[in-house]
Amino acid sequence: MTGGVSIALHGLTKRYGTRRGIEDVSLTVAPGEVFGFLGPNGAGKTTTIRTMLDLLRPSAGRATLLGLDSHDDAVEIHRSVGYLPGDFVAYRRMSGRRYLEFFAEMRNVPFGTVEALSRRFACDLEPQIASLSHGNAQKLGVIQALMHRPRLLILDEPTQGLDPLIQRVFHELMREIAAEGRTVFLSSHVLPEVERMCDRVGIIGDGRLLGVEDVGDLRAKSIRVLEFHFATPVPATAFADLPGVSDLEVHGDTVRCSVRGAVDSVLKAAARYEVVDLRSHEPGLEELFLEYYPTAEEAS
Amino acid sequence: MTQLVRKELRDQRRALIGWGTGLMAMVLLYSSFWPSVRDNADQFASYLENIPDALRSVIGELSLGTPVGYLQSELFSFLGPALILVFAIGAGARSLAGEEEQGTLDLLVVTPITRRMIVLQKSAAMALTAFGLGVVLWISVVVVGRLFGLEVTIPHIAAAILHLLLLGVAFGAIAMFLGAWRGRRAVAIGVTSALAVGTFILNAFAPTVDGFEWAARLSPFFYYGDSLPLRNGLHIGHAGVLVALAAIALIATVASFDRRDLRT
Repeated sequence: MTGGVSIALHGLTKRYGTRRGIEDVSLTVAPGEVFGFLGPNGAGKTTTIRTMLDLLRPSAGRATLLGLDSHDDAVEIHRSVGYLPGDFVAYRRMSGRRYLEFFAEMRNVPFGTVEALSRRFACDLEPQIASLSHGNAQKLGVIQALMHRPRLLILDEPTQGLDPLIQRVFHELMREIAAEGRTVFLSSHVLPEVERMCDRVGIIGDGRLLGVEDVGDLRAKSIRVLEFHFATPVPATAFADLPGVSDLEVHGDTVRCSVRGAVDSVLKAAARYEVVDLRSHEPGLEELFLEYYPTAEEAS
Repeated sequence: MTQLVRKELRDQRRALIGWGTGLMAMVLLYSSFWPSVRDNADQFASYLENIPDALRSVIGELSLGTPVGYLQSELFSFLGPALILVFAIGAGARSLAGEEEQGTLDLLVVTPITRRMIVLQKSAAMALTAFGLGVVLWISVVVVGRLFGLEVTIPHIAAAILHLLLLGVAFGAIAMFLGAWRGRRAVAIGVTSALAVGTFILNAFAPTVDGFEWAARLSPFFYYGDSLPLRNGLHIGHAGVLVALAAIALIATVASFDRRDLRT
């Protein structure tokens, strides 16, 4: 069947005349994985995804999805894959119901499945799509991608525009899908989102895959900035020489520092005083890039 | 296997109603002029003697005072083809390039049907829509024409309308091809319209230039009207040329759409 691999990219390359494409992207994703594809806008995430789906033809290399060749077996792949494009657009003049009915017909799916999903996403199917907010239209795209219970989901920036409540439903669903042994490949330019949902992350910058990391490792190695506010001024010495701590700033009752990896030592040091407030700044994508791939940053 | 055809037909519903109504209104308007034209046939005949040759070759050599001549010159020589072409070129360009520009094509292509099947189903829907318009036009000319005493045999009206539809389908297919090839609706509409105007002029003027009469045969309009289907019935050979033209454009559409990178 799939030979135990849901996605295998081998030196996948797409060059457009003068515009940047992707260069020599190789990675594999196993069944049951939620794989995050992380990179800033314009890094090549959408190009990679659209090449995998035979919307673009590779300049070199190949993509195998569910053991099938992305071009030669495109129809078979399309049958088993759910896809949500980035910048999803539906037929604006249809109602949500009519829109989903059309895709249910194309995919031979009973409409009951679609209705169940719609309820879960609290999606009103009656209004014309043109009148929907971006987030509500995006739900139709997500439902469309999920309706045929695909073995592989390929989602390009799926949570864009979804409100936080629906994002949570979405996260749950991704977990359920992975638990069933199905595979999710999703792109994002937001690190915390990928950390929440994914098992592994491929990081792409400037058209090249910079690395594939375990989300656990990413978290362990990532630097976060902690800011404490105490009830009374604290001595700077209380936070000096803690493992993993750098850029320590102590101003009266405020302490700010960067921590790499576990925050345990800092928290224990702080706990000796009365903590009024604690803020943690997640590292952004840029910090992550600087941290992980200083050479990539220099190169670009 | 026909889900896409049904979707396309549904999408065309409004257009079909609009264009159908427009065509009926056109027929009604021109038919209502017929009684007064008939009663003043002599005057029109002398007027026609003074028009340029090229224009005469467009409207034909028929007398305005006969039903066939009147319908041919008023409906089938210019206005009818113009309306059908505007409709067909628009529909052909919208079919693939329109979806590509709007961003809905990606998901359509990622359904489990081949790109070729997408092209075929969309063209089938376009041809059916054109055929529907043809039926509306045919019924209008037959029924409304008769109300005003504009009597032409029903099969000949059908033949003229079939020629008209095939002309539309041929240009619609060319627009679809250009849209599939470049992915741009404006390009498809612009180039096909220019082609239609150019070949229309070629067909009108070539017969008036000594030694260049043959050039009219390069124009689809020659195969549309030269045989005067309204008087002489269906011309299988000429209709066949238009069908062949549409078929070539369709094959080119499949070939270019099948191998192209789709735009976002």
